[in-house]
Amino acid sequence: MKEPPRQSSSGATGLGARAPAAPRGEPVPGAAHARGVRSFYRDLGASPGEARVCIGTACALAHARGEKAPLPAAAARREVHCLGHCDRGPAALTADGSLVLPPGRAARPSLRAMTREPIVLARLLAGDHAELARARAAGVYGALASAVAAPDPAAAVLSEIERSGERGRGGAGFPTGAKWRACAEAARGRGVAPIVIANGDEGDPGSFIDRILLEEDPHAVLEGLALCALAVGAREAIVFVRSEYPRARARVEAALAQAREAGLLGDTKPGRLLPLDVRVVSGHGSYVCGEETALLRAIEGERGEASPRPPYPTAHGLHGRPTVVQNVETLVNAPFIVARGAAAYRAHGTAASPGTKVICLSGDFARPGAVEIELGTSLGAVVDEAGSADGLRMIAVGGPMGSLVTPDAFDVALCEEPLRARGIALGHGGLVAIRADADLRSFLLRSLVFFADESCGRCMPCSLGSRRLLAQAQAGLAPGADRDAFGRLLDTIAQTSLCAFGERVPVPLRELLALAGDDLLAAKPAP
Amino acid sequence: MTTREASIDGRSVTPAPGESILAAARRVGIEIPTLCHRDGLSEAAGCRICLVEIEGDARLRAACHAALEPGRTVRTDTPRLRALRAELLALERASHPADVLGPPGERNELTRLLARCAPAPDAPAPAAPRPFVADASHPLLRFDGARCILCRRCVRACDEIQGQGVYAIVDRGGEARLAIGAADRFDSSDCTACGACVDDCPTGALFDVDRERPLPADATTVRTTCGYCGVGCQLEVTRAVQDGRPRVLQIAGAREADVNRGHLCAKGRFAHGWQAAPDRLTTPLVRRDGALVPTSWDEALAHVARRLDAIHRQHGADALGCLASSRSTNEASYLLQKLFRVRFGTNHVDCCARVCHAPTALAFALQTGVSAATASFDDVERARMVTLVGANPTEAHPVFGARLRQAVLRGAQLLVIDPRRTELCALAALHLAPRPGTNVALFHALAKQLLAAGAVDAAYVAERTEGFEAFAQELARHDAATLAAHCGVAETEIAAAAALLAGAAPPLFVHGLGLTEQTQGTEAVLALGHLALLLGAIGRPGAGMLPLRGQNNVQGAADMGCAPDRLPGYAALDDGEAGARMLRAWGAPPLPEPGLTLPEMLEAAEGGRLRALWIQGEDPMQSDPDEAHVARALEALDFLVVQELFLTETARRAEVVLPAAGFLEQDGTFTNAERRVQRVRPAVAAPGEARADWRVVADAARALGLDWRYAGPADVFDEIARVAPAQFGGLSHRRLDAAGADGIQWPCPAPDHPGTPMLHTERFARGRGRFFVIPFTPGPEHAVEGYPYALITGRVLHHYNVGTMTRRTPQHALAPEDRLEIHPADAAREGIADGGVVSLESRWGATRVRARVTGRVREGALFLSFHHPETHANRVTGRHRDPRANCPDYKETAVRIRPA
Repeated sequence: MKEPPRQSSSGATGLGARAPAAPRGEPVPGAAHARGVRSFYRDLGASPGEARVCIGTACALAHARGEKAPLPAAAARREVHCLGHCDRGPAALTADGSLVLPPGRAARPSLRAMTREPIVLARLLAGDHAELARARAAGVYGALASAVAAPDPAAAVLSEIERSGERGRGGAGFPTGAKWRACAEAARGRGVAPIVIANGDEGDPGSFIDRILLEEDPHAVLEGLALCALAVGAREAIVFVRSEYPRARARVEAALAQAREAGLLGDTKPGRLLPLDVRVVSGHGSYVCGEETALLRAIEGERGEASPRPPYPTAHGLHGRPTVVQNVETLVNAPFIVARGAAAYRAHGTAASPGTKVICLSGDFARPGAVEIELGTSLGAVVDEAGSADGLRMIAVGGPMGSLVTPDAFDVALCEEPLRARGIALGHGGLVAIRADADLRSFLLRSLVFFADESCGRCMPCSLGSRRLLAQAQAGLAPGADRDAFGRLLDTIAQTSLCAFGERVPVPLRELLALAGDDLLAAKPAP
Repeated sequence: MTTREASIDGRSVTPAPGESILAAARRVGIEIPTLCHRDGLSEAAGCRICLVEIEGDARLRAACHAALEPGRTVRTDTPRLRALRAELLALERASHPADVLGPPGERNELTRLLARCAPAPDAPAPAAPRPFVADASHPLLRFDGARCILCRRCVRACDEIQGQGVYAIVDRGGEARLAIGAADRFDSSDCTACGACVDDCPTGALFDVDRERPLPADATTVRTTCGYCGVGCQLEVTRAVQDGRPRVLQIAGAREADVNRGHLCAKGRFAHGWQAAPDRLTTPLVRRDGALVPTSWDEALAHVARRLDAIHRQHGADALGCLASSRSTNEASYLLQKLFRVRFGTNHVDCCARVCHAPTALAFALQTGVSAATASFDDVERARMVTLVGANPTEAHPVFGARLRQAVLRGAQLLVIDPRRTELCALAALHLAPRPGTNVALFHALAKQLLAAGAVDAAYVAERTEGFEAFAQELARHDAATLAAHCGVAETEIAAAAALLAGAAPPLFVHGLGLTEQTQGTEAVLALGHLALLLGAIGRPGAGMLPLRGQNNVQGAADMGCAPDRLPGYAALDDGEAGARMLRAWGAPPLPEPGLTLPEMLEAAEGGRLRALWIQGEDPMQSDPDEAHVARALEALDFLVVQELFLTETARRAEVVLPAAGFLEQDGTFTNAERRVQRVRPAVAAPGEARADWRVVADAARALGLDWRYAGPADVFDEIARVAPAQFGGLSHRRLDAAGADGIQWPCPAPDHPGTPMLHTERFARGRGRFFVIPFTPGPEHAVEGYPYALITGRVLHHYNVGTMTRRTPQHALAPEDRLEIHPADAAREGIADGGVVSLESRWGATRVRARVTGRVREGALFLSFHHPETHANRVTGRHRDPRANCPDYKETAVRIRPA
C-alpha cells in the first residue's frame, strides 16, 4: 500500500486561495502557430534547389568590384547575409551544400598566429584535425580524460575555468566560469537536469572562426562542450550549427560518430569516458538565433525570437531547464585551461582579459584570413600584420553589431576595458577593411537591409523602426529635420529594443553617418 | 527607505517577491503607460512603452517584466523616457493608416496613449504598406489588421486563457503580422468564439458583433450570473434603452470573479439575442376554442387558480404535480414546490435534475451524506491528476473546460473516460473509450487493478470509510478479463489507467451526464466514488468529486426541495426537525409520502392519474425521452400551465401560457455546480407583460387563497435560510451582495461562517464514506437484435439544451443543425456519406438527420445533439430509466441506421 498522499501540487492548503496560477507563456500549437514558425525562418520558405549567394560585408565589397561566385547562370538563388567565407569571397552555396568561390581561391583560409603559443588555432595551424586519430594524436580529449579521473571532476573543472578569467568570445564577454556556476547551482537548487549547448550560429558577416573550428577541429569543440557538461553536471548536450554551414554540420556529425564509436562520449552508455548525449541541431536561416534566448526557442521548434532576461538561460533555458549556451571558440579554450591550468592561461592576454582571440580578416586586407592574437594587442598591429592596402578608410569591427574604427583609433588595445572606454565593440572578432573609394551609401543601405531582414519582430522599436529606416534611406531624405529624425530613430531603437540586436545594430550606422556625413541619406550621393 | 523598500518616482514601496515594477507602481498610484501588458497574461515586453530608468542600471527596463528589487530607485517619467515614448508611439502611428486611429475611440488604448504621450505629427502619417488582412467570415468575430499593433495580447489570451491556439505571429521583423488559424479566417479556424481576445485587444483590431459601434453615453453595467450552464460565470452586462426598449448591448466576464476570472464562453458572451427576440411571449395566453389567445394577468391567474382548485377538489392531491425550472432562480423553484406541497398537499414535485444529475445527487447522498460536489472548481488548478468521465467540458461547460485545459497544459495528468474522442482527449495522458453503458464494469475493473497493485490509501480506507470488505468480496467475484471485454477496453489500458490514478496525489474526479444518464447511472456514480474512496481523494485539496451540473441552477432547484422525496435542504420527508421548521414557515407540515418523479408524472398523466401539471421553464416535448409518449402524456392532462419565454412545443400544448422573464431579467440567486450561491440581478426589464417566475408563483398562490406576502426575492431567500439553516442559514441577498463577485459556497450555516469550498475534510457528513456492493448489469439497450449501434445524445458548444435561447442568437449560424456523428468505418459499412441524410431508428421511434463522419465517436457508437426541434432526437430515445434515481437513459439507445 502506498504512502499517504502528499499535499496538492501548489501546496495550497488554504482553500479559496484566490490567485489564479501564473500564465504559462508557452504557445498552444494550432494551425497558425505552425505557420508562424515556418514563416520565421528564411530556409523554410525557400524553394528547393535554390542556391544561396552571400551578400555579407566583404562579399558585397567584392561584388562592387565586379567579382562574383561562378554559379550556373540559370541557378535559382537567394541572397543571404553571410556564408562565413569572407576572406575568400564572394561566396555562394549550391542547394546541395557545395561551396562556390571565384576561381583561384585557396581551399582553406590563411591561418596565422601572433601569439607566443596558439591556443585556439593550436592544431589548425598544422592542418585539418577532423579525424579522431589525428585529433587524439594532437592531444584532444586529453584534458577530458584527466578531468574525469580527478576526485571531484565537476568542481575541479569549474574552479579552473573560473580562475582562468576566460570571457565568452561570442561578443557579450560574459565570464565563462560565472555562467557555468550559475547553471550548476540552478540545476542543483531546482533538481532539474541541466543541458549545455555549443552555439555555432556564427552569423556576423566578417566572422568565420567558428566555422573553421567546427569543420576542422570538431573534436576540440566536443571536448570543450564535454568539459562544460562535466562542470555543470549535464548528461545532455547540443551542438547548434547554422544552416549556412552545411560542411560544419556534416563534420561535427562525423566527429560525433567517431567519438561514440571510440567510447568517448555522444551517448550515456556505460563505460564512456563521459556519459553525454550529444545531438546536432541545424538552424534554419535567422541571424537573431545567435542570441541565446532566440537560439533556445529555435531548438524548441518555436519562432527564433529573443526574450527579455532575466530569467537567464542558466536558470530557465531550454524547455525551462538550466542551460549553458556557449560560443564555439570559447569552448575550444576550455581544454587548454583544464589541461594546462588557469595560470598558464592567464599568462596570455591581459589581467582583465586573459587568453587569446582569433581575429577574422576580410575585405580590403592584403592578407585576409584568421589570426590568433594575445588579447591586448593593438588593432594597428593586427592591421599591419594583415597588410592594408593604401587608402584604408576604416575597419568594420565586430560585424553589424560592432563598430566602425578609423585609423586615428588604431592604437586601441583589443581587450575589455580599452575597447569599452572607446565605445568599440569587438563582437566576435571580425575585421572588415574598407577602402576610401568604397560606396558608403551602398554600405549603409546594405546594413539597413540586413537590419530589416533579420529583425525578429518581437519588439516594436526594432521591427517597425528597422523597416522605417530602410524605407526612408532608400527614398532619400532632404537635409535638416528629416535627417535629424532619422538619427533620432536610430538612437531610439538602440535605447529601447528588447535584445542586443536592436540595441547594437544602430550603433555603427550612427557612426557611419557621423563619419561620412548625412549626405549618405540623400537620394543620390551628393556630388 | 528601509532595506526592504524601493522607491518609484520618489514614492516608497515595499515590493512583494517577484513583483513587477509596473504592478508595484500601480499599488502606489503610479500608472506606467503600456500597450502590450495585460493583467493575468504572460509578459511580451514587446511594446517597450513601459520602459523605466533604474538608478545604477545602464539599460532601460520594461516595467511589466522587470521585478522591483528592494533598495532600487526607479523613475518612470523623466524627460528622456517621455521623449523615447513619444518617439515609439510616433513610430507606431506611422505604421497605420491615419483613419483607423481617428478620433479617440473609447477602446483604443493606442489612440489614448498617443494623445497623452506623443506630440501631434507635423503632417499626417502616410499609410504604411503593411500586409494588412481583415476578416469578417464569422458570425460573431471580426478582425481589422490595419488597427493591429502586434501586442500579442490576443495570442496570449487565446493560448493562456482559452488554450485554443487560434493566433500566431507570422513572418518576421517589420513584415510580421497576426495570423488567424490556417487561412486568416475565423470561420475555418479552431476559434470557439470565447471572445477573450476581443476583451484584451487594445486597439479594436479584434472586435465582435456587439462591439462594432461605440456604446451610447447612457449605457450602464450590472453584474449578474450567467444563465446557461452550471459553471455560474459572473457577467458584466452593459445595457441601455434603445428605440424605447431596454437592450442588452454587451456582455463581458467579471475579472474579479473566482469562477471565471473574466473569462466567458461564446454562449455567456454572445447568446443574449433571445432577450429581444421578436417572438418572445409578452402577454399571458389562455386557450379558448382550441386557440391560445392573449389575456390579462388577472384573468390568466384566476383561470389557473380555478382549474387547479377544481381538479384538486374533484380528483384529490395525487392528480396535481409541478416541475420547477433548473433555469430559473432558487426563489422561483422554492416557491413552486412550496405552493404544491402546502396548497395541494402533494409531493409530486420534481425538476429537470431528474433527467440529468439525479443519480449523482442520490449516489453522493448515499456515499458521503451530501448531494453535491465535494470539491470546487479551484481544485482543478491544485489537482495533479484529473479523471474526466462522461463529460465534454470544453463544449458543455466551456469556462471550466478552459481552466481544466490550462491545468493540463501546466502539467496536471488527465485521464479521459468517454466513448467519444472529445477535444480534451488530445491532451490526455490516456483516453479510455468504453462501450456505452459499461461504466460500472470499467470502474470495477479499475478498482480491482488498484487493489491488486496495492495502490490504495489504506489508512484512509480504514479510518474514514465503511463497507470495504463486502465491496472487495464483490470485486473478487468479477474476472478482470471479462470486465475488460465487456467494456471493450484492453486490460493493458485498464492497467495503465489504474497506474495513472495511483500517481503521487489523489485525483480529482470530474463527471458529467455520460455517467448518470444510464440505467445504471446511480450505481456508476457510486462505483466511481469507490475509486475516490480507495485513493483517499474526498476531502483533500486538488482532489475529490466534482460533477459538472448541466443547467445554471440544477443544483439550486434540487437544494430547494424540488424532488418528490426531499424537502428544502435535502431534508427527508419524515425528518421531524425539518418538519417543524416547515410547519413554522409554511403553516403546514410536510407530507410523509414521497410523490412521483418527472418520468413517473408523465406516465401517470398518460394513464389518467395525473390531471394537472405546472411546468416552469422546461420543454419536455423536446428534452425528455420518447417524444411520442411525452406528447400523449401532455395531451392526456386536463390542465397544463407553462411558464415560458417562447411558445415551445410544450407550451403549445398548454391551456395557459404565462410569459416569463429570462435570466437577464430576473432577480434572485442561482447555485452553481460547486454549491456556490450567486446573485442574479435584472439587467433589463422583461418585455411586455412578462413576469419574473417567483412573482408569478406568489401571485398564483394568492389567487389560490394563500396569504403569501413577499416583498421580493430577498424576502423569499430569507425564508429559505430559515427552512434550511444547515445549508443557507448564514446567507441572505444582502450578504451575497457584499461578497462581491464570488458568492458563497454552502453549507453556510451562520452569518459569520465563510462558506465551504470543500466537503468532508475531517469526516464525512454521514460519518464514514460508504462502499456498496454493486452488481454489474448490462443495460436493456445492450445487444438488441437488429439494432447494432449505441446512440448517445448530448450537447455541442454553440447551443444550450433544447436551443430555445441559443437558436435565437447569431451564433445559431455556427451550428445550424444537429448532426449524427458516426465513425468512418461504420459510415463505410452502412454506405453513409459525410453530410448525407440518415434514417435513424430505434425500437421506440425514428427520425432523419444529416451525418457527420468523424473519428470523434468510437466504432459502434453514434452521437446526436438535440438542440433543434426538427431533429426529434427524442423520438429515438427510449423509456428505460435508472431504477434508483428515475433518470432516463439518454446515453445508450440501440439503433439501426441506413442512408435515407
